[in-house]
Amino acid sequence: MKGYIGEFEELVLLTIASLGEDAYGVTVKEDIEKRCDRNISIGALHSTITRLEEKGYIKSWLGEPTQERGGRRKRYFELSHQGKVELHNMKDLRDELWKLSKARLALAGKMIVGS
Amino acid sequence: MKNQPPRLASRLFEWYCENAAIEDLHGDMEELFYLNLEKMSERKAKLKYWQQVLSLLFSDAIKKRKKKSVYHPYSNTSINLAMIRNYLKVAFRNIYRYRYFSIVNVVGLAIGMSISLLLIGMYSYISSYDDFHTNKENIYRIISTRTEGIEENDYASAPTALADKLKAEYVGIKEIVRINKSLNSEVVLDKINIHLQGYYVDPTFLTVFNFQLAQGNASTVLSKPNSMVIIEKTAQKIFNSTDVIGKTIELTDGAIFEITGVLTNPPINSHFEFEALVSFSTLASSETTSKSITEQWTQYNNQYIYVLLPKDNDPEKLQASLDQISKESYPKQNVTATFHLQPLSDVKLGPDLRNSIGPNWDLSSFIIFGTIALLILLPACFNYTNISIARSLKRSKEIGLRKTLGGVKNQIFLQFITETILITLISLVGAIIIFFFIRAEFQTMLVESSALDLSLTGKTITLFLLFALFTGFFAGVFPALYFAGLNPIQALKSQSATRVLSGLRVRKVLTVFQFALSFGFIISLIVFSRQYKYSLNFDLGFQKENILDVELQGADPSTVKAEFSKIASVQSVSMSSGILGLSSSSTWVHSTDSNDSTEVNQFFADGQYIENTKLKFLSGKNFPDAEWKREQYVVVNEEFLKTQKITAPIDAIGKTFLIDGNELEVIGVLKNFNYTSLRSPIQSFLFRMDPSRFTYANLKVVAANGTIAEIEGAWNKLKNGKKFFARFFDDEVNEAYSFYKVLLKIVGFLGLLALSISLLGLLGMVVYTSETKTKEVSIRKVMGASTSSIIVLLSKDYFKLMLWAAAFALPVTTLLLDEFLSNMQYYHVTINFWDVLLSLIILLIMGLATVGSQTYKTALTNPAETLKCE
Repeated sequence: MKGYIGEFEELVLLTIASLGEDAYGVTVKEDIEKRCDRNISIGALHSTITRLEEKGYIKSWLGEPTQERGGRRKRYFELSHQGKVELHNMKDLRDELWKLSKARLALAGKMIVGS
Repeated sequence: MKNQPPRLASRLFEWYCENAAIEDLHGDMEELFYLNLEKMSERKAKLKYWQQVLSLLFSDAIKKRKKKSVYHPYSNTSINLAMIRNYLKVAFRNIYRYRYFSIVNVVGLAIGMSISLLLIGMYSYISSYDDFHTNKENIYRIISTRTEGIEENDYASAPTALADKLKAEYVGIKEIVRINKSLNSEVVLDKINIHLQGYYVDPTFLTVFNFQLAQGNASTVLSKPNSMVIIEKTAQKIFNSTDVIGKTIELTDGAIFEITGVLTNPPINSHFEFEALVSFSTLASSETTSKSITEQWTQYNNQYIYVLLPKDNDPEKLQASLDQISKESYPKQNVTATFHLQPLSDVKLGPDLRNSIGPNWDLSSFIIFGTIALLILLPACFNYTNISIARSLKRSKEIGLRKTLGGVKNQIFLQFITETILITLISLVGAIIIFFFIRAEFQTMLVESSALDLSLTGKTITLFLLFALFTGFFAGVFPALYFAGLNPIQALKSQSATRVLSGLRVRKVLTVFQFALSFGFIISLIVFSRQYKYSLNFDLGFQKENILDVELQGADPSTVKAEFSKIASVQSVSMSSGILGLSSSSTWVHSTDSNDSTEVNQFFADGQYIENTKLKFLSGKNFPDAEWKREQYVVVNEEFLKTQKITAPIDAIGKTFLIDGNELEVIGVLKNFNYTSLRSPIQSFLFRMDPSRFTYANLKVVAANGTIAEIEGAWNKLKNGKKFFARFFDDEVNEAYSFYKVLLKIVGFLGLLALSISLLGLLGMVVYTSETKTKEVSIRKVMGASTSSIIVLLSKDYFKLMLWAAAFALPVTTLLLDEFLSNMQYYHVTINFWDVLLSLIILLIMGLATVGSQTYKTALTNPAETLKCE
């Protein structure tokens, strides 16, 4: 079996990727909340991040202290190679399934181009 | 300043996370707080902050970061082979460097473990019982609970009639084996008779159980009546050969069996024990005709049933029909029984059942033995704990350094556990040596020793090793935790004063426990030996000297009497039904005036017997000397009068009572005496004279050389082919209390072990404190303290501890001993002041001698030599 990543884990990984150099706790949380229109608790988010880090999908480092946040440093995240591979695997799997079931997934009143 | 995140939440968060790296999380929360402030009210933002803090507190993220923070940045948490090697090296160096303490520990642990090794060896062997039967999972024994009146007892046996009923009515049984163990007789041979014990069994016995036939065909050897299968060892004994098929064996009761098969010697780890098997059909023909249906169901001693169920059969179903049969078979009887299935695997260490078929180990005595083993092991473990903690200062520098260099708690813990386990493994060697020495003695104390093999096997050695590991862990866990928890800064400064203080309290408790245990053993030993002497010297109320009891073994009393009376050194010959002072039977007495019946103990003897034993008459007279055909008189004791509500002895004379259908007249009243063992109180009792019940001839003899040979000569003149069995009356009575000797031996030995372990521990402690206090002692001496005052100074704490131990042990021991003694014997001693004092003196002398030897040495040291070391 290929390394399994859950839905929320995938979401977090992709968000970190999309945020690029500015991916740290607050931005990741805000971004997911805005995009998905759902509230996530900071505890759940960091549990997931810790898990992803243990699995080796992301890397993290501490930034420089700034005047904001009481002088506390930010922890920045970045996808590791393995994380990227895992995301690709996931996407390939999805694409394959989509391709196979396109006709059945057609929504009423909407033509799917190329079918 | 009001636009700040809630302070309390922030503090709580930091406090909870201790020194974990949570700077980023804290910052994130603060940033989010300010973001929220733009979107919502301050109150709401603060509430949000609180929510975030709580959600983080309970999250995995914090848990994992906290775990990480425990380790020093330099530490390597994986278990590293190099580190283990280092632990072992340091351990060996320490053992070698502090030889004295190592020896104290090793000897103590070896002694402590030796008793447990016996238990483990025994358990390991017994658990292999009956493992060699291939069908063992599906074999069940039918056991029974027999109720007679209010008395309810569990039996290993079950009526044969039940087996027949099951065979006829129940279909779910694959095989059924009936066993009767009443084959217990002697083989008639040319010179001497050889005892033979065995079972009557169904032919299925050999197919259900895996006993190997050396010769003969398993399916036919036991099918015909009067056929016998014999084991090789016995065949060798009787015929001097194992090639015995077709030969016949004659028993003393006249039965003749043809040998149809020879079994290879059965393994001794079985709950069956037999020398021969005889076909059940031999027995069946006579049994069914001689007993009524009721008797078959109610009198079933020595009858056993084993069933083999098919693999997929549910034993519950059979149990249900057993319950049903039990209900049907006992209509309105005073004896009833219920039956239960017992899996073969439960037989070896099952509940205590009466009438067991062979070697029988019950669980409860095993538990008692286990407790004793633990009571010996614990003090030895405590010694180790005590000495290790006491010496913690010596090791604290090492631990401090290890911790500073990145050693984490777990590693320090592992190191000390490794060290302890190393010591227990060395002790195990010593324990096994002790085990070899006490093994044989231990086996002779056991009743079932022939069915026990305590030699070392792979299995027992593995168990021993596991046990040593466990002991090591147990003894080492407390010091290891203590060392692992040391603060490196304090440890390096040798400043662990506060921790040592708490350690001191633990040490005192452990020492008190050890001495309490030793005190308990000493006091038990003293009381038991007093009890033994008391029982031997107890005035039973009759004379037992110079009386030789000869077993009649069925010989006619009057001819025996005539023959023995001819011998010059025999003063008189009396007859009795047993040995007075050891046993008596009981029966019912019906008063002729009323319908009441009372229970009474009885003993059959003639008038001469009462005369020879010098029993005192309160009233009336002895049995008349003349022989008579019908039983006529009884001689009763004082208790008998009490139960019959007769006040004056003289009133009883001439009264008649109905006993066993005979109307008997009271002819004499005796002063109370102990007609039965000291275990029971004196109760209502009477002498009867019925020659048919006599089993012993009691010869009053003049002590002289050759008398016994003369008597034996007279016995042989009777020519009844029986061997002459005679014992002196007083020997027989004294021997009944010889079990106290075994008890004394056991208690003495255990006490010796417990005491030596405690003393070893004490020695270790004293050596340590004397060492650490050398400087103090020297200064005191310089200032003018005398040797004796220094000895007192160093010893008085231990003296106090021993007194404490005695104070704790006394009430518990007194209670336990009283309970034990009164259960064992009705007439028993009670613990008195002198016992306690003597035990205390022994304990104190031993303890103070140990302490004194060391403190004296310390007190004598020359202050100039110790002080100049600085």
